[in-house]
Parts: sequence; structure tokens; C-alpha cells
Amino acid sequence: MTPSAFAVPIENYIGLSAVIFFLGVTGVIVRRNPLIMLMSIELMFNAANLALITFAKAWVNAAGHIFAFLVITVAAAEAAIGLAIVVVVFRRAAHVDVDEIATLHG
Amino acid sequence: MSPPIPYVNSADLHALLPTTVIAAAGLLALVVDLFMSAGRARRWIAVAIAAAGLVIAGVLTAQQYGHSYPAFGGAYMQGGFAVVLGEIAIFATLVSLGLGIGIGRDDQVAGTTAIVLWSTCGALLMAGAGNLMMIFLGLELLSLGLYCLCAMSVRSAARESGLKYLLLSSMASGFLLYGMALLFGGTGSVALAAISAAPPSPLIALGAGLFLVGIAFKLSLVPFHSWTPDVYEGAPLSVTAYMSVVTKAGALGVLGRFAYAALPPATANAILLPVWTVAAISMIVGNLAALQQIDMKRLLAYSGIGQVGYIVAAFAGQTPLGLRYAIFYLAAYTFMNLGAFAVVALMLKDADGSLGVGAFAGLAYRRPWLAAAMTFFLLSLAGLPPTAGFTGKILILASSVGAGYWWLSVLLIAGTAISVYVYFKIVRAMFVRVDEAHVRAERSTNPLPWISIAVCAAAVFVLGIYPLAPSDIIPLAK
Repeated sequence: MTPSAFAVPIENYIGLSAVIFFLGVTGVIVRRNPLIMLMSIELMFNAANLALITFAKAWVNAAGHIFAFLVITVAAAEAAIGLAIVVVVFRRAAHVDVDEIATLHG
Repeated sequence: MSPPIPYVNSADLHALLPTTVIAAAGLLALVVDLFMSAGRARRWIAVAIAAAGLVIAGVLTAQQYGHSYPAFGGAYMQGGFAVVLGEIAIFATLVSLGLGIGIGRDDQVAGTTAIVLWSTCGALLMAGAGNLMMIFLGLELLSLGLYCLCAMSVRSAARESGLKYLLLSSMASGFLLYGMALLFGGTGSVALAAISAAPPSPLIALGAGLFLVGIAFKLSLVPFHSWTPDVYEGAPLSVTAYMSVVTKAGALGVLGRFAYAALPPATANAILLPVWTVAAISMIVGNLAALQQIDMKRLLAYSGIGQVGYIVAAFAGQTPLGLRYAIFYLAAYTFMNLGAFAVVALMLKDADGSLGVGAFAGLAYRRPWLAAAMTFFLLSLAGLPPTAGFTGKILILASSVGAGYWWLSVLLIAGTAISVYVYFKIVRAMFVRVDEAHVRAERSTNPLPWISIAVCAAAVFVLGIYPLAPSDIIPLAK
């Protein structure tokens, strides 16, 4: 398979992945709800997955596909731990907002 | 087109044997705990199993010294500096587990011990990683364990530190991962060696930039350091001690391999100049911020930011001597920093508590041996003879001046001057006579930190007299 096998030009895939990545970064920085922040982090990871798979197809190298599977697995573990920690932190709080927890002054 | 992946042979498995032993010790600690009745013995059994696994892994790692071998088709580099970094991570794990005989309540200790051991596996994989996938896997294995460990306490500050670390560190992982994806796009291979062979392109430059942002965050270099003091303050003492050394060992392994073996020589200096700059800023800002701290864990966090700046500065110019000296200084930092943490542990009744700088007032008259040990470790952290901190700084200065980075050397000396003031505030407090009634004097009943203090003090002294910098530091076996 050659790069010409892309029905849509490769730049579009990478452009989309860059947009998703930027959305993810913005989400983590702007949003104050830890659940949304975790979702934004997932967006960043999945932007990288899209880029990895696109490049894997362009270079005809299966390593990119394997890498993407690895990232999916790790992201699942990260989400599991993240949700557990959010539950532990906000169990007694009425609503979740990272600005409400300020025992540690940064 | 990438070369076909060769079949796994016994030499590959042998390269990962230390990591396997540590992971198995974690499983064993969990299984044995199932058959234990409630009580303090549970703690000791879990920690003893972990210690046995770590000692075996340490011996196995030492046997790999000087035997470089690219295992799993170059995914894991056995030998080279991975051996020394691995030993540092293993030693730090042993000391941290000893600070409070495991982490958490009696019924949690087996679980936390297993998580600590598996995190150490992640650090070992990072130290030996030869391709991007292994770096990511090692980093996440280390980080995922640390998120849990930080939150492993009933104090709300600890849980908060876990959440903060999780959100900020995952974001840094996202940067690192996207950088890796771009590097893969620029080279068509996940191997680090392929990056230096590929023609320079914007994809590689941008990918390397994002990758380095992620690593700078994990190393807590200024301006990516804001999480460090909060997480260090909130986490249990043993976890803080563990994090301060093991993450640095893993991340410095990645940065060292990336700076020395992965970047194309033509563009390496331009790509890495921002890294030396943030290292220089870290030396100054870390030590300045440490001046104002009244909590011991926060103070050690800021001091660590300054120290990691010194270590990264040794990489400047990518001279082979610089790599040796950086590893030497990391070893020195491990001993002096863990020594200081052991002293703090002995001054706390509960290893989950926190200690203000005020608790050191008059310590020399109450507990002279402890005060003497703390003075020695602080001398070393400040970089005064006859300690490993002094020798390490002289070596780093020699290497950065030799590589033509005069401005780094000047800032290193300036940072050291500030840090002397930080550390001597504590030394002065220890030797001032105070009214006993005004000092919150606690004691730990756990004797293990004394062993750590003895070993660390001996190591700081020996390395201060004779700098045993490792000679086998091949970053990437071809």
C-alpha cells in the first residue's frame, strides 16, 4: 500500500488530529469540572491515536497501529484511576469543581 | 519500511529479569497477604517480601553492568546507564518502603507495596527504553501507580494531591504522546535511533518540542513545576520520598537517551537549547522559592526542583563526560535527599503526617545524632565539602564549562549560593537553644530509617571523597 491509498489527503487527518488535540488542551485548561478535564485528557490521547494510525498507514509500518492499541489500554487504566480519585475527593461535596478544593495552596 | 521483528530469545527475557522479579514480588506480597490475620505482622511480611524482591533485582541488575544488549529488537536497552539508574530506583524504593514500614493502614500495606513495586518496574523500563512505545509504557506504569499512592490516605490534602497530580500529569502525558506521534510521523519508525538518521523536518522539530515539554513536566523543571510542591506536601511522606527520586531516575534516563542518541546531531543543539534554559531557570527559581517554605516536604520539593536543574545542566553540549557526571550527581542526590527524608521520618510519630521547619529548633540538644546526620545531608544538598553534593557540582561545572556553556555555570553557582542560605536556615535552627515546651517534638518508633541514614551518610561521604562516576554509559547499543 502506498500513501496514495488515502482517499482523503493525509494533511486532513493530521489537521483534524491537531484540532482535537488543541480542543483537549483547551478543555483541561479552561474547564473546572474534573470529569470534563478527564474527558479532555482522553481527547488529547485520542488525537495522538489518530495521528499514529494515519502515519502508520502512510509509512506502511504496523508499529503505529500497535502503539495506538497500547495508548487505548493505558487511557482506559488512566480513566479508571481518575474516576476513582474523583469519587474519593468529592464524595462529601455537593458538586464537583476543582476550585473548591484548595487545602493545598499552589 | 521497518525491519521484521526478530523472535524473542532468552537473552531478551534475561534483560528484563530484574523487572520481572520486582513485578512478581508485588504479586507475591498480595497473595501472601490473603492468608494473614489482622495485625502489625502484615506490614512487616509485605515489606519483607518487597525488600527480598528488590535486593534480588538489584543483584541481577548489577550483573548487567557492562553488558550492553538491545533486547526485543532494540525496544529495551540492557546495560549502559540503565544499570545505574535502575539501581538508584531500586535503592530509593527500598528506603521509601522503610520510612513507615509500608504505606497506609495495616490492611492496605500489601496493596500499596505492590503498587510501589510495579511503579518501580515502570521506572526501570523508562531507564532502559530504546523506543517511543517503551518510554510511554514505562512512564504510564510509573505515573498510574503514583496517582493511587498520592491519594492513599484519609487526609483530604492527600486525596487532593492525588487529583492534582492525576490531572496535570496526564495532561503532560498527552503532550508527550502527541510529540511521539509526530516523531513517528517524521521518521516512520518508533525506534529512538531512527530519529537521528531521519532528515530534519518540521514534524521532528515540533514532535521533539512537545516530547521535551512532557519530560520537563515529569522532571518538574520551571515553568512546568507548579504541581510539585502541592503534590509533595499532600502525599504521604514515603510516597514523597519515593517520587522525588524514582520519577527523576526514569525521566532523566529518557531525557539522556533522547538528547544523546535520538536527536540528529545537526539540529540537536537548537532543539535542546530551551531545555538548558529551563534547567537554568529551575536552579534559580527552585532555590529562591525554597527560601519561603515552612513545611519540610514543600522545602524539599523546591530544593529538588533546583537540584534537577543542576543535573539537566550537565547534559548541555551532550558530552559523554556530562552524561557520566549527571548520573553521578543523581546518585549523590538520591543519597542526600533520601537521608534527609529519613531524618524527617524519624521526627514524625505517624509517617503520614507533615513536619514544619520549626520542629528542628533545638534538635541538636534533644537528639544530637539526628541533628548531626541532618546537618551532613544539608551540607551535601548545599554542595559543601566533604560531601558527594560538592564533588558532583564540581564535576557538572567542569563539564558545562568544558562544553562552552559559561552562562549555565554562572547560574549554577548563583543557584548554589541561594541554596546555602535555604539549608543553613535549618542547620542554624537545630543549633539554637529553645524552650522545650514550645517545640512539637515527636518520635517515630520505627527503627528502619536509622539504617537508611547510616547507608546514605556513608555513601554521601564515600562519593564525596572518591567520585565513582560510572564508565559504562552507552546510551544506545547499536
